[in-house]
Amino acid sequence: MEQLVESIAERVVNLVLDAVDINALVAQIDMDAVLANVDVDAIVSKVDVQKIIDRVDVDEIVARVDVDAIIDRVDVQHIIERVDVQEIVQRVDIDSLVEQTELGTIIARSTSGVASEVLDVVRAQGVGLDDFVARWVNRILRRTSTDWPAGPFRLIDPPEAATEATTEATTGPPAEAEAPTLTAEATR
Amino acid sequence: MTMPSTVLAPPDAGRQGNYAGGVTRLVAFAADVGASWGLFTLGVAGLGFAINLVTGKQVNLASRQILALIAIIIWEFVYFAYQWSLGGKTIGMALLGIRVVASDGSPITPRQAVVRTVTLPLSFLLFGLGFIGILLNKDRHALHDRLAKTVVVYSWDARAARLRWLAKQEPTTSV
Repeated sequence: MEQLVESIAERVVNLVLDAVDINALVAQIDMDAVLANVDVDAIVSKVDVQKIIDRVDVDEIVARVDVDAIIDRVDVQHIIERVDVQEIVQRVDIDSLVEQTELGTIIARSTSGVASEVLDVVRAQGVGLDDFVARWVNRILRRTSTDWPAGPFRLIDPPEAATEATTEATTGPPAEAEAPTLTAEATR
Repeated sequence: MTMPSTVLAPPDAGRQGNYAGGVTRLVAFAADVGASWGLFTLGVAGLGFAINLVTGKQVNLASRQILALIAIIIWEFVYFAYQWSLGGKTIGMALLGIRVVASDGSPITPRQAVVRTVTLPLSFLLFGLGFIGILLNKDRHALHDRLAKTVVVYSWDARAARLRWLAKQEPTTSV
């Protein structure tokens, strides 16, 4: 009996819905009046936004985003042209920047590098000319200076080195004497 | 006459402690003359400006030649003696990588620095013959070196310079 009533009711409702023009009905409704009665704040306050946010998988959304495609669509050149670089530079405190970063060190290092390079060149040329003059003097005086000391004995043959050489002589060949070799080169 | 290849080539060995040659010493001395005269001129100008500021009087050393000569002699003495006694090298010697040491290689004493400074003009006064020992002697003694018992040696680490030079070369051209 109950099923019969339900089927009749369902049939009736369908017949009514078929007969009613929903669009015409909606058009007659004053939506502004309806919305004016709705308290949106009360509805929003009932929504747990935090819970919704927690359920959103941001990583998955981001993973779906084609960043390259977005970047390709951005006209970077156009953006740069709109930036007033001159004004930005004028607002930068260069002195403070140099003080707070290692720029000062880098500048000093590069400057000292250039200075030491120049010094190396000047000194190397000086040493070369010294050797050149010494060779010609020896040639003119018809003498050889290969057995001459390269320098003061404390600098060329310091006591520590002499002691080490003596010690090594008992166990093996002595270390190569570097400075005397240079002496011969310098004065030949 | 051919120039030595070592002039333009990179330094190929350490020279620290070796007797310095005449060319390097001459260039260092020329640099010192320039430096000392430059500092003297600056000092005189600064002193004149200060006196003018305080007293309102102009000071002109050119019109007082004897005073200027005495001031220059004192200044040159202080310039060389002070720097030699301090570290064995002057500004010019530091630039060229040489220094003065005692004959045995130990650091120069203040007394030796003073004697060397006082006797330095002697090498000039004998028509420059005081310097001939730098070319002829085995320990490259000038007259003032002999009197002060000092020698001049390279204090420049040519080996480190060579390493710096090598580090800047292309890997394929490195030795």
